[in-house]
Amino acid sequence: MAVTVATHERPPFWRNATVLKWAAQLVLVAFLAIVILTLRAQAATNIEDRGITFGTKWLDDPPLISIREGIDLQPDSGARALYAGIVNTLRVSISGILAATILGTIIGVARLSHNWIVNKIATVYIETIRNIPLLVQILFWLAVIQIFPALDEDSVGESLFLVTAKGVSIPWLFPAGGFYQWLVFLIIGAVVAGFVYFRLSRLKEERGGETYAFWWSVVAFVAIAVIGWFIHPVMAFWGPIFDGISSFFGAIPRVLVQILLAAVAVLAGTLWIRRFLESMRTPAGLAKLTDDDWFRMIFVGLMALIGAALFVFLPGISQTILNMVEAFFNFLGAKFSGESVAPLTYTTPAVELRGTGGFAQLSDQALVITPGFFALWVGVTLYTAAFIAEIVRGGILAVNKGQSEAGLAVGLTRAQLLRFVVLPQAFRIVLPPIGNQYLNLFKNTSLGIAVAFPDIVQVGQTIYNQTGQTFPVVILWMAFFLTGSLVLSSIVNYFNRRLKLVER
Amino acid sequence: MQIENAKDIIVCDGVKKWFGDFQALKGVTTTIKEQEVVVVIGPSGSGKSTLIRCINRLEAHQEGSIVVDGIELTNDLRNIEKIRSEVGMVFQQFNLFPHLTVMDNITLAPMWVRKKPRDEAEETGMELLERVGIPEQANKYPGQLSGGQQQRVAIARALAMRPKIMLFDEPTSALDPEMIKEVLDVMKELALSGMTMIVVTHEMGFAREVADRVLFFDYGTIVEDGTPEHFFTNPQHDRTKLFLSQIL
Repeated sequence: MAVTVATHERPPFWRNATVLKWAAQLVLVAFLAIVILTLRAQAATNIEDRGITFGTKWLDDPPLISIREGIDLQPDSGARALYAGIVNTLRVSISGILAATILGTIIGVARLSHNWIVNKIATVYIETIRNIPLLVQILFWLAVIQIFPALDEDSVGESLFLVTAKGVSIPWLFPAGGFYQWLVFLIIGAVVAGFVYFRLSRLKEERGGETYAFWWSVVAFVAIAVIGWFIHPVMAFWGPIFDGISSFFGAIPRVLVQILLAAVAVLAGTLWIRRFLESMRTPAGLAKLTDDDWFRMIFVGLMALIGAALFVFLPGISQTILNMVEAFFNFLGAKFSGESVAPLTYTTPAVELRGTGGFAQLSDQALVITPGFFALWVGVTLYTAAFIAEIVRGGILAVNKGQSEAGLAVGLTRAQLLRFVVLPQAFRIVLPPIGNQYLNLFKNTSLGIAVAFPDIVQVGQTIYNQTGQTFPVVILWMAFFLTGSLVLSSIVNYFNRRLKLVER
Repeated sequence: MQIENAKDIIVCDGVKKWFGDFQALKGVTTTIKEQEVVVVIGPSGSGKSTLIRCINRLEAHQEGSIVVDGIELTNDLRNIEKIRSEVGMVFQQFNLFPHLTVMDNITLAPMWVRKKPRDEAEETGMELLERVGIPEQANKYPGQLSGGQQQRVAIARALAMRPKIMLFDEPTSALDPEMIKEVLDVMKELALSGMTMIVVTHEMGFAREVADRVLFFDYGTIVEDGTPEHFFTNPQHDRTKLFLSQIL
């Protein structure tokens, strides 16, 4: 029997799976591009008929809005207003993620408790919260805060806690004049504490016994923080250094940065291709590259070139980066005055008369939690915590009972068992789904619009109601949430990869 | 027998244990001497695993008393931790910690319970790995080893605490046939070195060859108690005879 099998012959391209796969993707991309361009052209004509032109001028123009809370209540440009909205979104997201993680873990553990009451409370909490729409819950919390006493002229004055229909105010520590000089001490303290912890842990491993590494590192940090509190003006010498760095960046010509960034883009592409080729190298020489490998390299190369071209032809990008770095160091430089001012100021809540009509308001001197922030924050935190609780419960249950038995059988205490055996394994199981919940919380903060919380969505909507710039604003929204979500998920993925179990 | 004059190391007196309505142990009374190798045999569900799990208090007995090395097992956590560090246990499913290397599995308890320096713990760990025949696997993870190798690591992990007593809960039941021998060889060597051992197993060959005493369990009580010779050639009870006729 003579059967010829030509294994190394390249198939004609219409039967080549790799070529077809890439061709299909290219066709799809081209098709999408045509659709989008057509729609855009169509939209442009329609909008022009109505006398609106989309552009970026609104980013510079002063908006006719005031923002209820945040870093800038009277922003002088559209961009600044959106930035204030972004900061508000991040405030709710980050504090919500922290609180939901802590609460969710507690509730999740409580649901595994043998204590009947604790167990039932946790169950009722989870079943109630996760079966009611989040928007309804946010509105509920807004209604709750309105039951609290209203403010009038009689309530003017100070007190330790204020819970009113206009929000909650609690005592707070705010960074003051000496804060940045003190911050240097805190950073030094953290580094020293890390060093102490590392050394004492090593000592424990080398000599045995107990060295209380954690407690000593805490002592070191607190000691340096306390000393720094009193002698923080000695850090004043950083001021001129930061000023110098600032003027250095101010002096760099924009063209240089453009060339540099373009070079970095090209270099990154080249490096990727070189590493890719390196991974293809076998002891017998370079492995034969498949069509797929070629397409991947061409794709990366193209992306690098496009990136470089962007930096070259859009000088604005480089200029913005330069300006930001310059402004940042300039800002830092001004904070190192050498004056001895307390780094933090302690403030207590107060009610004051404000505005043209002299309405009673919560004073900004202490931390004010507005009804909008309260409703949104409590809403997303409780909601996400319920889901995190279920994930935590599942994670702990998923660690085999045999693991605990094995740990106990070698004489570990309950605490050691949790620290060395159960938690490291449970953490690995719960990390990906908890990361998902973080993403959900971040995206759900956009519901703040229902309670007039000035996040990026609410501010953006106000802006386009005034300027008619719907599309640019919506695109900025989407870009913001997409970027934020991608950053969050890449952080989670990073830890997930690091914690992966080694199997055969 | 040379161990007749040895001191009692485990004394069980009328041990009873219920799981809900089901009574797993119905008053077990037995004494195990130092250096004795006791093999526990019996049909599944007869309470043999429950007994050895009560001896290091992975299960709490409800009536009767268990005294291990002069310490009675009660709810006193300090006694329990002390006894657990004196009693090593090997499980049917190995129960190695999958996120730690073989060496870290072995050194975890010596370093954190016995507060040994890492160098010393690793030296002991290496000696034990050589004893169980797999020193070259020290830096691998459990998931990268075969079942027989994993069970040998589990034995080394238990030995690392320098226990006075070793409990084996069906150590070969989850292994492929060709791996059973490598684990039994390690256990044989351990028995010959004078370790006090209680082994729950279905390996009759091991019982015949290595055991000083065989306990036959059924329905939560000890039915037959004697030397392997007595047990395999001249059993006294019908239940034992029936069991032997089914498995031999």
